[in-house]
Amino acid sequence: MSIVGCQHLQSYKKTSKNKNTFKWIHAVFVVNSTSKSLKTKLCNSRCRVCKKRGPFLHACLECVFFGCHKHIREHAKSQKHSMSMDLTYGQMHCNQCHDYIYDSEIDAIANDNKMKSKTCKKRLFEIDTWNPTSDERDYLRSKTKKICITPDSTIGLRGLLNLGQTCFMNCIVQALMHTPLLRDYFLTEEHNCKGMSGRCLVCEVSKLFQEFYNGTRVPLALHELLHLIWTHARHLAGYEQQDAHEFFIATLDVLHQHCLETMPDLKPVNVGKNSRCPCIIDQIFTGGLQSDVVCQKCNGVSTTIDPISDFSLDLGPVTVGGRPPTSLVDCLERFTRAEHLGENSKIMCSNCQSKQESTKQLTMNTLPIVISFHLKRFQHMNEVKTHTKSKQKSLISSQMEKKISTTISFPEMLDMTPFMSRSKTDSPFPSDNRYSLFAVINHIGNSINVGHYTAYVRQLQDYWYKCDDHVITRATLKEVLDSEGYLLFYHKHVLDYD
Amino acid sequence: MSQEYDAKINLHLDINHGLDRVTELVQTRLIECGWRDQVRLACRKAITENEKHIPTVDELIATVTPKARSMVPDSVKRELLHELESILINVDKFGYSKSF
Repeated sequence: MSIVGCQHLQSYKKTSKNKNTFKWIHAVFVVNSTSKSLKTKLCNSRCRVCKKRGPFLHACLECVFFGCHKHIREHAKSQKHSMSMDLTYGQMHCNQCHDYIYDSEIDAIANDNKMKSKTCKKRLFEIDTWNPTSDERDYLRSKTKKICITPDSTIGLRGLLNLGQTCFMNCIVQALMHTPLLRDYFLTEEHNCKGMSGRCLVCEVSKLFQEFYNGTRVPLALHELLHLIWTHARHLAGYEQQDAHEFFIATLDVLHQHCLETMPDLKPVNVGKNSRCPCIIDQIFTGGLQSDVVCQKCNGVSTTIDPISDFSLDLGPVTVGGRPPTSLVDCLERFTRAEHLGENSKIMCSNCQSKQESTKQLTMNTLPIVISFHLKRFQHMNEVKTHTKSKQKSLISSQMEKKISTTISFPEMLDMTPFMSRSKTDSPFPSDNRYSLFAVINHIGNSINVGHYTAYVRQLQDYWYKCDDHVITRATLKEVLDSEGYLLFYHKHVLDYD
Repeated sequence: MSQEYDAKINLHLDINHGLDRVTELVQTRLIECGWRDQVRLACRKAITENEKHIPTVDELIATVTPKARSMVPDSVKRELLHELESILINVDKFGYSKSF
């Protein structure tokens, strides 16, 4: 669809000489691309009547005349010249219609000039017009209701019904629905499914996003999602309570597979030497974990980089009698500490061609956009048994799993820089590796098989809500930070360009 | 004398892109302090108030300009003044007196 200016402009445009005049004046006075044109501009850009520079300096397009707002109108009236151009933004003015006019052909010439400009002038690009397609026009006409997002609006918050011990699923869904980048992906309908309908989990999630953000407040039942998970991740099927972390990993895995299956157009993205999976799940959740194995004899380092999408952090004492970690940063320090592999696990060193004792250190090579930390609060009993045997104590509990309920403090803003791999090719500019907390999942109860999961999610930057199945209540940041924490979700604060 | 001085200043502003820089600065400041949004709102109000006739750009400029002028924050004016002062002080130092 093209915009056609007034009839006076049409007759003006008929002569190609006139169009050239416009093009030249626009190039010299509005865009001002070359140094030669600068000279021309400087000598001429003042009002011919009052000798001032403006305001709103215009050029007459039918004779050589420059004038400020007042004088160009007077000139046009007395000389009967209707076309003039504003020299700040390059708008055409018709004095017979008494207004500025828009015309696609003129816009195209102006745009061409702008693109050839050597220096970028911000003001020239700020007033671009948007041409909606006919579909968009129809849609805008039929949907006239305005939705205003205020701190009190509940858009994006939906309770989820518990379908018999499905709180593990509900809390993960809440966390996923409030992942900012994932939300943007699905609400802009980036998923073009070519697979069978009703079989694709990505489509189901896409549908869920629409449900969450359409403004309705009735709780949702996720039976379709649950069914899809059951068919694609068999180990989670059944009505027992499952581990939320396990469900999260399985969901990401199925989503990743379905993305690749249903969108054959996706091409692997090459970042440096490593090619990365193009699917949205891996783009958001997967980072690179670097593992450096250092041979104790020759100090040779062998480095491998593996994709990592969840961080499981140990909470028990480092050694028997050692100090257990008390904060997330403690856990991460422990995770990235150099570890001596011991005599029993000698590794073939490629440098000295023999099996040697070595140390291993894990660091972050590339950071994912969303980091999920899993605090290992459930400890398998057999580990505890050997531990207690050495201390000559008998076990009190008969459960298979034990829960570690130590307080682990976690910050709202987390800086991952100390846990990054250091390489020689680092750019001199420090990168911003800060992450902000946007979802926390808590487990209430004593063991992995019983208990209840709830989620805290962040909404509209600074507001927190507690999602307990179908009940959603407002929460404070303090409440969130004081909660026990089982799964912690952090989102990158500043997104870099690839 | 004053005419000569005017011409000199003008030339100075042009050659060093002084005017361009100052305009750019003022534009940035006005956007930052929310002035532009206020003016946009005022324009919108002026358009919606007049139901019978949609004002032309010229009429809009005439009605909104006085209001918009008064809305410019003092801090922006002060900064502009300071900037212009420092340009004028440097006129003689650089001595751009050659004419085209």
